[in-house]
Amino acid sequence: MATNPATYSPSQSLERRQQQQRRKIFLQADWTRTDGRSFHQCRPAFMRTGASNAASGSAYAEFGGTKVIVSVFGPRESKKAMMYSDTGRLNCNVSYTTFSTPTRGQGSDHKEYSSMLHKALEGAIILETFPKTTVDVFALVLESGGSDLPVIISCASLALADAGIMMYDLVSSVSVSCFGNNLVIDPTAEEEACQDGSLMIACMPARYEVTQLTLTGEWSTAKINEAMELCLDACLKLANIMRSCLKEIAS
Amino acid sequence: MESSEGTGGLSGEIEVEAYRRLFPLPFYERHLLESVRPDARPLNRARDTTIALGPVASADGSALVKIGDTTMLAAIKLEVMTPSTDAPDEGSLAIEFQMPPICSPSVRPGRPAEVASVISKQLSDVMMSSEMINLKELSLISGKAAWMAYLDIYCLSADGCLFDAALLSAIAAFSHLQIPLVSVNDDGRVIAVFGELPEAKLKLELVNKEKRKLSLGSKPFSLTCILHEEYILADPNAEEESIMDTFVTVVLDSLGQLVSIYKPGGAALANMSTIKACIALTKSRVKELNNILSESLSEMEVD
Repeated sequence: MATNPATYSPSQSLERRQQQQRRKIFLQADWTRTDGRSFHQCRPAFMRTGASNAASGSAYAEFGGTKVIVSVFGPRESKKAMMYSDTGRLNCNVSYTTFSTPTRGQGSDHKEYSSMLHKALEGAIILETFPKTTVDVFALVLESGGSDLPVIISCASLALADAGIMMYDLVSSVSVSCFGNNLVIDPTAEEEACQDGSLMIACMPARYEVTQLTLTGEWSTAKINEAMELCLDACLKLANIMRSCLKEIAS
Repeated sequence: MESSEGTGGLSGEIEVEAYRRLFPLPFYERHLLESVRPDARPLNRARDTTIALGPVASADGSALVKIGDTTMLAAIKLEVMTPSTDAPDEGSLAIEFQMPPICSPSVRPGRPAEVASVISKQLSDVMMSSEMINLKELSLISGKAAWMAYLDIYCLSADGCLFDAALLSAIAAFSHLQIPLVSVNDDGRVIAVFGELPEAKLKLELVNKEKRKLSLGSKPFSLTCILHEEYILADPNAEEESIMDTFVTVVLDSLGQLVSIYKPGGAALANMSTIKACIALTKSRVKELNNILSESLSEMEVD
């Protein structure tokens, strides 16, 4: 709002200092993670379908401090301006709440994640099954605690399954951060802020196919291989959790 | 055949679900004749209501409220501002109500729902006029620094009575609000001392040692009713709201005093006796909501 005076969060300076301290710690070869996990241990994953009744399908995911709701609408009529299409369309949107980050944000749409979510799911959905129509996937990040995009992707594929959209397989996604020689799986927001590089994989474990892979920062080839193995293994485990969540609903 | 009066030419057998979709109003009217609603509620009963306090860890105060399938998540973040010269010892309050596209099939990304800004305005009007929050309590250093409370309410699932649920979540979030301990550093900026080393805590002078919770005045609660012919339906869901279009929203505070009445147009004219009936219904609902809120507050203290 334009009428509001300029404000600042009193915890800003404190956070900055803590981050500097932590950055020093991460340079060492051996350190413990703030939540007590080992380097190759994921946060406990909690997932449930049917978070919102108004949608065709929905899911809620909570991985440590990261909380996400995804609603799926459709298949429904495409926008009037759209050209005729034999295959269905997928429309994705990711937004954050204003209170999702430690300091209050704008709560606007996240264009980059929206596009990446679209790309990660596109390959898994059998678009031929709903010609001329659109499936909308809307994600809202309630709290951002790190590894947001992988959580959004996994949660979205669960919501698609809940909506009964035909897919080749569930898509599960996990990311790994690289700190010097250490590989840290499922990083928290603090860890992500200080990482040297990151690798994220979204895959369909039953078909052993990767729908999306992003790699940023400095990596050696050996490290990339190791990180991919680590991610794929975690994706497989996550997909099992998602599957059991769907079975629970069906039974 | 009773159904023929509403359906015109259609006679004989028709499936209930199809009848409901094709002739929603006659479908409802036949229920109303029996003094029951399709979801098995009596006309004057509100849906089950739950309040969960503190679901958002990164906020200073938060609440998740469910009225039936309508779900609201409210969170308050406190930031520091320089108070205006007109009111040097008062803080401020900024309320925003958001309807993200996840909440309803009718909301599309990039196009905020019209009703969201209406509810935003109604909420700030009610919060300000009920005087539940004493803005002077949000002051830190007179003329220099005061709290700006950003209250953001997200509708996670929209199934009718959005204003009622939003107001309840706002009140619950303020009841849960914990003001962080702060101090002033050398540059004159207010800094948080939470989680700081104990010796640093002693060195820095705390500005607001004794003001950790707001002393809330009488809290406003609301109930929306649908008026249809001679019937009054309390706490309608989205389906009922879409079929019958005359609403009355009554806001009362916990002492039973009237804060506001809102009747936005609609076909049926509300006469004095129906308005009075709505107020009576709201009175009993306020008691109910007050109990639910104090229950969840006492549960939190036990934890």
